[in-house]
Amino acid sequence: MPGQTRTVKSILAAALLAVSLSAAGDDHRAKINYMLYCQGCHLPAAEGLEDKVPRMSGFVGYFTHSDEGRRFLIQVPGSATAPVNDEQLAELMNWILRTYSADELADGFEPYTVAEVAELRQTPDTDPAARRKQILEDLSKKNRQLRRSLAQPATSP
Amino acid sequence: MNWLIKQLDRMTESKTRTVAQSTGRRSFMGRLAMTLTGVSALPLLPVARAQQQPGETGDPNSCDYWRYCAIDGFLCGCCGGSMNTCPPGTEMSPMTWLGTCQNPADGKNYIISYNDCCGKTSCGACLCNRNEADRPVYRPQAANDINWCIGTKHLTYNCSTAIVVGTALEQ
Repeated sequence: MPGQTRTVKSILAAALLAVSLSAAGDDHRAKINYMLYCQGCHLPAAEGLEDKVPRMSGFVGYFTHSDEGRRFLIQVPGSATAPVNDEQLAELMNWILRTYSADELADGFEPYTVAEVAELRQTPDTDPAARRKQILEDLSKKNRQLRRSLAQPATSP
Repeated sequence: MNWLIKQLDRMTESKTRTVAQSTGRRSFMGRLAMTLTGVSALPLLPVARAQQQPGETGDPNSCDYWRYCAIDGFLCGCCGGSMNTCPPGTEMSPMTWLGTCQNPADGKNYIISYNDCCGKTSCGACLCNRNEADRPVYRPQAANDINWCIGTKHLTYNCSTAIVVGTALEQ
């Protein structure tokens, strides 16, 4: 009986490990996909280019503070039409958020799932700049840290 | 026992004196400083540091060189720069497009960043237009027909670099 308990325990542990690994995704693959499909414009450290390309570093996590912002990150054309499948897009966005903007993530942030990404990218944004502006306006009413970040010219997104 | 300790004491003293007489802290500091200066000057020597990395073969100024598989432009190596650097008087565009090329030396695919050099009129030397994996301009992030002088002071295109930024995934 104790032997059986041990076996059950180790199976459970292995299952848990598998679940946590699949949620984390493949970081190396995500990084390579970032280099190939994002970094050309968002630049190697996700710093963006003032007035041309939005900064993700130290910023993109703010979007996870609202449902609308969360949807936007997948529906923005650069994400929705990126030449990667749904699984890799979910993995890539989760990696970007964790790597470049962990401090700005909403409390209790749940990583994107493949099903969620698959559904969202079916309806890409038609006017991303306007929608982005609206989302940030709405979010900054409740988020002082975001308001400060938006007010600093040197770090304007 | 006392005798042994005295012997040891004497021996240590004489050795220490010998070392102290034949060397000096100043000479040690001098030699250390010289070594440090030498080591720090090494990267400044005019070696081909902007040229090939280990594991690369071929002529970097020839269009059939492996890194140029998706390029469309003038090779910076023929324009006063190199495949990694811009010619003097030009500025490297921070925004660019990236693709992958297979290095025949090891059969691996590498990620290549084709940053344009901007700020002087077209170089005109070593035009290279290979277009492997090039996509139409409506997929701009993989299109080489675009003038990528974006975010630079001047928008005039001069030449293109081909910088290895990583190893691609094995498909």
